[in-house]
Amino acid sequence: MSDHRKQILDMLAAGQINAEEADRLIGAIEDGPRPAAATGLAERPTAAPRYLRVIANVMDGDDQIKVNVRAPLQLLRAGVRLASLIPPQAQDQVNSALREHGVGFELSQIKPENLDELIDHLGDLTVDVDGENGNLKVRIFCE
Amino acid sequence: MIPLAAVVAFRPGLSSSNVRLWIPVPLFLVWLLALPVLVVALPIFYLACPARRVIPFRALWALLQLLCALRTTRVSIESREASILVHIF
Repeated sequence: MSDHRKQILDMLAAGQINAEEADRLIGAIEDGPRPAAATGLAERPTAAPRYLRVIANVMDGDDQIKVNVRAPLQLLRAGVRLASLIPPQAQDQVNSALREHGVGFELSQIKPENLDELIDHLGDLTVDVDGENGNLKVRIFCE
Repeated sequence: MIPLAAVVAFRPGLSSSNVRLWIPVPLFLVWLLALPVLVVALPIFYLACPARRVIPFRALWALLQLLCALRTTRVSIESREASILVHIF
């Protein structure tokens, strides 16, 4: 008998868990860790994104302008912390200006405590913008 | 840690790609020069913050973090006439 199974049975005997919970726990031990392919989740890179990259190509007549920005995501964190210091009156003005431009977003919704989760999800984000005439291409992603 | 140095690289044109002017910018000297100004500005900042309902120490901490986060930032702009690269260390 494995240590885990014995531990579960001891917990059942001590009345810490009921029979149904014990059955579920034993079932989980027998199944073992599921492979990523079985759960339908693709294997994700473990390294967290560190930089926000903005690459823009602008065609101005015959001239081509390339802009390449690599900003650390720490800058985003610091910026949000700074934004949280904006006085409420100013936040209202910013929010109303955003609404006027069709952005239904409240500045106060971004909080430093939610930022790590946001940044984790930014790793999967890629924004591609193509201009109508093909004279503008912008790509935003994290790496 | 606040950024202590930066490099500005300038190239006049893509055709003369071998010529690139590298200008090191000792940011620590900028901070040293700015220190007396900051010392004078700090009491004014401390008095102005409550008027705007901002906690001065939190604001200073956030500004310092913003400054520290600038490290490893790289901005490069290239066109036919010139290209410029700014790298903060």
